[in-house]
Amino acid sequence: MNHAGELISAYLDGELARSEVEGLFGHVGSCGKCSAELEALQSVRSAVRSLPQLELPPGLIPEADAEVIPLRRNRGFLVGAAAAVVAVVIAVAAIFTPSAATISVEELNSRYGARASLDPAFGPAKVVVPYVVDLPE
Amino acid sequence: MALVAVLVMVPSTTALGADLDELLDESRDASYTAEQVISCSTPEGVRDAVVELTQSGGELHVVAPVDPDVEIASGYGGWSLVREGSVVSSTNVQGTDEEPKPRYTIDDGAETEYLGRPATSYRMIGEGVVRAELVVDAEIGALLKVVTFVENGDLYCERRFIAFDPEPPTFSQASTGSDVEFSVSVVDSDLPGSLAGFERLDVYKDDEGFVFAYYSDGFFSFAVFETPAVVVLGEGSVATFAGGPYARSFSPGQVTFAWETLEGGMALVGDLPPDMHQEVLDGLPPPQDPGLFRRLWRNLFG
Repeated sequence: MNHAGELISAYLDGELARSEVEGLFGHVGSCGKCSAELEALQSVRSAVRSLPQLELPPGLIPEADAEVIPLRRNRGFLVGAAAAVVAVVIAVAAIFTPSAATISVEELNSRYGARASLDPAFGPAKVVVPYVVDLPE
Repeated sequence: MALVAVLVMVPSTTALGADLDELLDESRDASYTAEQVISCSTPEGVRDAVVELTQSGGELHVVAPVDPDVEIASGYGGWSLVREGSVVSSTNVQGTDEEPKPRYTIDDGAETEYLGRPATSYRMIGEGVVRAELVVDAEIGALLKVVTFVENGDLYCERRFIAFDPEPPTFSQASTGSDVEFSVSVVDSDLPGSLAGFERLDVYKDDEGFVFAYYSDGFFSFAVFETPAVVVLGEGSVATFAGGPYARSFSPGQVTFAWETLEGGMALVGDLPPDMHQEVLDGLPPPQDPGLFRRLWRNLFG
C-alpha cells in the first residue's frame, strides 16, 4: 500500500468497513509517514471537536441548507431502495386509483336511451328511470 | 254494404290481423299524461319505481317524483337529462331504417277495462312462449300496462299506469346546455350481426372512443358498448356465466352488465328478461384479465 491519506480521512469519518480498517492499520504500523499523518489528523479533529458549537445566524450561508453530502458507504443501496419505494408507490397508485377515463352508467344510459327512442317499442314499455344522483350543475 | 260499415266502425286496436308493430306504432303516437308503476323481480331482488310520463307526438318525458327536478326527455333519436329546466347532458343518434325480422306475434286480444276505460289485452308470443301481456287503450292506443315474462312463465317486469289522462300535454321548453350535446355516426364493427335471436340494427362511434351497437328482436332491445376504459357500476353484484364473471346491476326495467377485456371495457344495457342474459353474453367477447402490466400501462397512459 502506498500513502494512505484518503483511507485515513475515511477512517476518521467512520466510513471504512472492518476489513478496510484492518488493512489500514496493518499499513500504518509499518509506514512512519502515514502513522504521523494519522496522529496529526486525530489531534486536529479532537481540537476542532472540542470547540464550542455556535448557531449561525439564519441566511448567513443560504446554500449550506440545500447542500447534500453523499455518504460514501451504502450510497448505492440507499438510492436503489428509494427508487424501489417510488416505483411501488406509482404502481399501487396506478392500479388502485380509478383511471381518469372510467365510464359511468349514466353515459351508457344516454346512448342507449337515445337509440331506444327510435325503437318501435319506445314508450311506456321502455321507460328508463332517471338516475337520482349528483349531477353537474 | 252493411258489412263494410261494420268493419269501418271497428276500432283499429282490436284484433283484425293487427300485428305487434302496428300496435306499438299506435302507442308511440299517442299523447297523454300518466303515472306509471314499474316493478321487476330480478335475481338481485325487486326493483321498483314510480314515474310520471308525458308523451306527445313520439316524444316522451319521464320524471321520478323522488327527485322532481330531474327529467329525462327522449324521442326521435335524442335523449336529454334536464335538471331544473336546463339540459345538463344529451345524446343524439342518427338511426337507420333497419328493422328486425318479426320474432313475436300477438294473439287476437280480449276486450277488457283498465282504469275505467275500454281496453284490449294482448298476449305477445315468441317460439311458443308468452313473453308479454300488453293492455292497450281502445280509444288512443296507448300501452296502459306491459307485463313481461321469463321463459318459464314467471313474471319479470310489470309496468302499469295508475293514473291516466289522454289529453295532449304541453311540454315546457328546456334551455339547452352549452357544449354537452354531440352526435354519433354509423361505422362498421366486429360485433356480431345477430345474437341469440336479436339483430344488430346499427353501430355508432363518437369522439370519445365509444363504439356501441344496438340490437333488437322487435320488442326487447339492448346496446353493446366497446369502451376504451372500464365501465364502473356504482352498485350491483357479480354474475358468473360461461364466459366468466360480469359486474351486473338491475334498475327498474333495465339491466346493465360490465366487464373488462384486454383492450378496455365492454358493457351491455337493455331490457332483456334474465333468461336471455346468458345466451346473449355468450355471443360477445368474454371477460379477460388484462394482467398487472397491461392494466398499469392503460391506467397511466390511457
